Amino acid sequence: MTKAINTINLEDIAKKEVERLYPKKPKIVVSKSTCGLASGAAKIYETIRNEIDNLNLDWILTETGCIGFCQIEPLIYFYQPGKPKLFYGNLTEKKTSELIQALAKGDLKKDWILWKIEDEENIITDTKFNLGIDDELEDIVHYEKYPFFSKQRKIVLRNCGFIDPNSIEEYIVKGGYSALTKVLNDYKPQDVIDIVKKSGLRGRGGAGFPTGLKWELCSKEESDIRYIICNADEGDPGAYMNRSVLEGDPHSVIEGMIIGAYAIGSSEGYIYVRAEYPLAIEKLKEAIIQAEEHGFLGENILDSGFSLRISIVKGAGAFVCGEETALIASIEGRPVDPRMRPPFPSKSGLWDKPTNINNVETWNNVPVIITRGHEWYSSLGTENSKGTKVFSLVGKIKNTGLVEVPMGITLREIIYDIGGGILENKKFKAIQTGGPSGGCLHEKHIDLPVDYDSLAKVGSIMGSGGMIVLDEETCIVDLAKFFIDFTRDESCGTCSSCREGLDAYYEILTRVTEGKALVSELNLLEELGQTIIDFSLCGLGKTAPNPVLTTLKYFRDEYIEHIEEKKCRAKVCKALIEFTIVSENCTGCEACAKLCPQEAITGESKKPHKINPDLCVQCGICFDTCRFDAISISTGGTV
Amino acid sequence: MIKVIIDGQEIEAEEGQTLLQVAQSAGIYIPTLCYHKALSPYGSCRLCVVEIEHNDRILYHTSCQFPVMENLIVKTNTERVIQGRKIIAELLLARCPDSEKIQEMAKELGVVETRFKKKDEDCILCGLCVRICQERMGVHTIDFINRGIKRDIQPPFGKYSDICRVCGACASVCPTGARVVELTELSQKEPRPIFSDFEEGLTQRTAIYTPFPQAVPKIPVIDRNNCSHFLLGECQICVEVCEAKAINHEQEDEIIELEVGSIVVATGFDNFDPTEKPEYGYKEFKNVITGLQFERLVNASGPTQGHLEINGKEPEKIVFIQCVGSRDKDGHEYCSRVCCMYTAKQAHMVRDKFPDAKITVYNTDVRAFGKGYEEFYNRVQDENVEYLRRELDDPIQVVGNEEGVIVKAEGHPDIHADLVVLATGLIPREDTKELSRLLNINLSEDGYYLEAHPKLRPIDTFTDGIFLAGCCQSPKDIPDTVAQASSAASRVSNILSQKELEIEATVAKVDESLCRGCGLCIESCPYTAIELISIDRTGNKVEVAYVNEALCKGCGTCAAACLNGAIHHLGYTDNQILAQIQALGDEEI
Repeated sequence: MTKAINTINLEDIAKKEVERLYPKKPKIVVSKSTCGLASGAAKIYETIRNEIDNLNLDWILTETGCIGFCQIEPLIYFYQPGKPKLFYGNLTEKKTSELIQALAKGDLKKDWILWKIEDEENIITDTKFNLGIDDELEDIVHYEKYPFFSKQRKIVLRNCGFIDPNSIEEYIVKGGYSALTKVLNDYKPQDVIDIVKKSGLRGRGGAGFPTGLKWELCSKEESDIRYIICNADEGDPGAYMNRSVLEGDPHSVIEGMIIGAYAIGSSEGYIYVRAEYPLAIEKLKEAIIQAEEHGFLGENILDSGFSLRISIVKGAGAFVCGEETALIASIEGRPVDPRMRPPFPSKSGLWDKPTNINNVETWNNVPVIITRGHEWYSSLGTENSKGTKVFSLVGKIKNTGLVEVPMGITLREIIYDIGGGILENKKFKAIQTGGPSGGCLHEKHIDLPVDYDSLAKVGSIMGSGGMIVLDEETCIVDLAKFFIDFTRDESCGTCSSCREGLDAYYEILTRVTEGKALVSELNLLEELGQTIIDFSLCGLGKTAPNPVLTTLKYFRDEYIEHIEEKKCRAKVCKALIEFTIVSENCTGCEACAKLCPQEAITGESKKPHKINPDLCVQCGICFDTCRFDAISISTGGTV
Repeated sequence: MIKVIIDGQEIEAEEGQTLLQVAQSAGIYIPTLCYHKALSPYGSCRLCVVEIEHNDRILYHTSCQFPVMENLIVKTNTERVIQGRKIIAELLLARCPDSEKIQEMAKELGVVETRFKKKDEDCILCGLCVRICQERMGVHTIDFINRGIKRDIQPPFGKYSDICRVCGACASVCPTGARVVELTELSQKEPRPIFSDFEEGLTQRTAIYTPFPQAVPKIPVIDRNNCSHFLLGECQICVEVCEAKAINHEQEDEIIELEVGSIVVATGFDNFDPTEKPEYGYKEFKNVITGLQFERLVNASGPTQGHLEINGKEPEKIVFIQCVGSRDKDGHEYCSRVCCMYTAKQAHMVRDKFPDAKITVYNTDVRAFGKGYEEFYNRVQDENVEYLRRELDDPIQVVGNEEGVIVKAEGHPDIHADLVVLATGLIPREDTKELSRLLNINLSEDGYYLEAHPKLRPIDTFTDGIFLAGCCQSPKDIPDTVAQASSAASRVSNILSQKELEIEATVAKVDESLCRGCGLCIESCPYTAIELISIDRTGNKVEVAYVNEALCKGCGTCAAACLNGAIHHLGYTDNQILAQIQALGDEEI
């Protein structure tokens, strides 16, 4: 193996290209990940482009990924040489035009600034880039102090929202590919495995299997070829951290894979990404081409003699493809039915060859562990859960978005400090973690440290990091039913326990929401849940009953209330609620009557109206329409 | 060898075996619905899940798929496993509430009623049909479609398959007992059932089968014309299933040569095929059957266990028609001799089963010639069985109507019948001519083997040592057959018991010095008594004719044929004949 590998080259690039990231003239960067685009980032980008042209400004306009605070998209930042980066959010086209015109005149629109960055951290190199200080902006909050970010520790999301995902140069300026050159220069494959093992990194896909051990098992299998796979088939409803990483920092995943392939002894890799992520696929494709052009990927990487080819495989959207054996079947072109393990993929995986599968987030962690060392990495987190974890914080919470926190942080800190508390200051009811296979945790768990083992202890899972916050307006039975409906639809249908069991679950839960079930059937749900867990083959079946089992454990009274009192306290279950008009409040404006799809609301103009309960389908349009609080919802005989 | 502990029992297993295989070999029962010995394990029914302790971890896995490995402690019957199986049984019972097989399995597991909402399915999606088609038939006509609760089994796009061979393997393995896979939904090809010869086509059989319950030896045979392996090179499921490992598809037919002193020809007869006489409506109407089919229907080991049913219904009006294919001036002119009496017996049996049935027998003279036959015939008539006589030449016709058939006979009113039994005659076997050539025995005009003399040598043929027994000589009933067979056996013993055979002295003799080995005599000999042998003539090897005196009948044909005058007929040489003539004339020639 030639050891002519060029950390120096890399440093040259970094030096040369640093101006791309921190140029000598003003730069405006638009967050253009899927979340940004959904909020109108493309139009904002167009508006800025036009304003720059109109005002004839010598400014640079680029894009970046999602910084995680999806709530405030569309988001941009403004950079001037020697001055702090300034972030502006919740932009509209009009507001953007106004902002650019103001900025062009030197007016920073101080009131609109969300936060500033004076020193930009570089996790990989453990350095900070001093952008500059502006005394005038002294009272603007620092990024590190901003509530949403203050408790976060960004390792996985280190570059998201900071670099242009289309530019390998910007990635290199941020220390990219230095881990790879370090590995190729200084380490034997086993050294890399040892480092990853010592770091305590566990699989971020959900099951939490030690990554180093997984690599080692695969590397020790005798074979002419070994495969590595990046599992980017993110299918949990509401979870999108993988998408964000692929869209905002694709090179970090590719670099992690190259290092992993070197450690395992693989020459062929696949990224299995769901076709519903077109932007991620586009960024990945471009990143692979760039990495190949720079010699980081392909034949004889950086003259080390080590070669790796990475291909992208698009998944067709089946949730079960996230299960590794189903994913392998999908790449092979077979129906996506998970198969029995053993043999594990590390022994017999893709095309019956040793295969190592890791999640996007797992691969992404690898370069940092290499450059910063396993001691540093394992100093983060808890005893058995090292490092950080990205969660997608959604639901009835003020600040929704992607949050990356060190393992062991409490739910309270996530919900109240980062999330800013419950929407409209309503009462916190529960938090669902781990996606459709996870569990629903009670208020009493709010001080639970978030790591693999603590969550498992209370019947939930880390999963891929979904976190849905629920308030008093969420019906717990309806929620459990929603998740069961999802998993029963996404089950591959092979195991009778999963296929028939989840369908039976759904049927019983539907009757609970209609107040037609028996209390004794709640025990049956628990009995059946255990069987589904024990008797199903893959992770989907083995975790699918979790939402029901945890809610039955922690919110059983609500189930019983549905059955015995025919009451849905959240006023969600349609069969148990009734809409009536409060005559005293009704002005007879007829706004509701006009919208009622059932024409169930009748009455004389300017006089109180009535709802015909026989026609009403409990759609709730009248309730949402009424401006006079004249619609009341009753359940179980009470309002 | 790997040691596995199952239910406390230490069992030796081979690498590559699954826990289920090992347990089954040790006689430990684990329930399953989706496992088949000859197919890859699929693990869909989940009934065979067992508790596995491996390196201090407790796992629950399907035993049909889990490979044996070191350090396994398996428990097939823990409370948790039993409880889970019961729930699975309840789920399957809810899915297929009407399936008897599922009900049985559930009952076995202690589940009588399901607590889950019943559906109306008959398929448990075990995938046996998919696997057998793909793995053993090599076709892959059907597969799973959709996922989760919408999962189903279909040919591609739910359309008729071009590759399906309607072999029926899919339907044959279905554990629910219902024909979940309908061949008519898979392909537009006509299924080609294999009918049982022994059951006279009343039932179907498989391509590997025991010919009939009392077959000797009682060993299954493979029907090469229908076996998927011989037709397509796939399948071989029987090999996997046979625990004795007794099936060998490489086996070929063997020709065994035996040297014997005598042969008894007892090749039997064929039944007349009534489709040759379309007027009887055989095959056209389901309720027209032959006498032999009737025998299977009333037989306790027959397809209906002896219940006389036609189209699932007990017949009320039965017509027997005699002389079908016998005493026919345009076909078989002889009387088959057994039909009158077997019809009488069958009519008696019907009366026995259905005292109120209307039974009619169309006859063309009843021939109750044997001992006790006339008495039996009279008894049957007394049992309210109507015997109607018709002339041989009078036409008889069976036509169909909605309920059954109508039998129209000249000079008689039409009879509505729900069962018509044709007393088909006996005919010579199809291969009679071939065998006659092989054995050098003759045929009589009716196509049966010809006896040497109808009165004096009814057992013998014209070839010494070859005898006839039974219906190959002419139609006869059981007593006559037994008598003839006993006689043939006695004639054979007569020959085989002698050390030397006495033969007639008047045989042919070859004068080797005159014979030039032309072989004309061999061609002319009707008894195949002459062959060519090699002799030494003044130091040269030459071929000359040789007469096997044991075979020679002294007919003299060879002597007449020989161009060289090299064969003489002993006792009838030219000189001896001339001497006789001289003696007659008392003159010198």
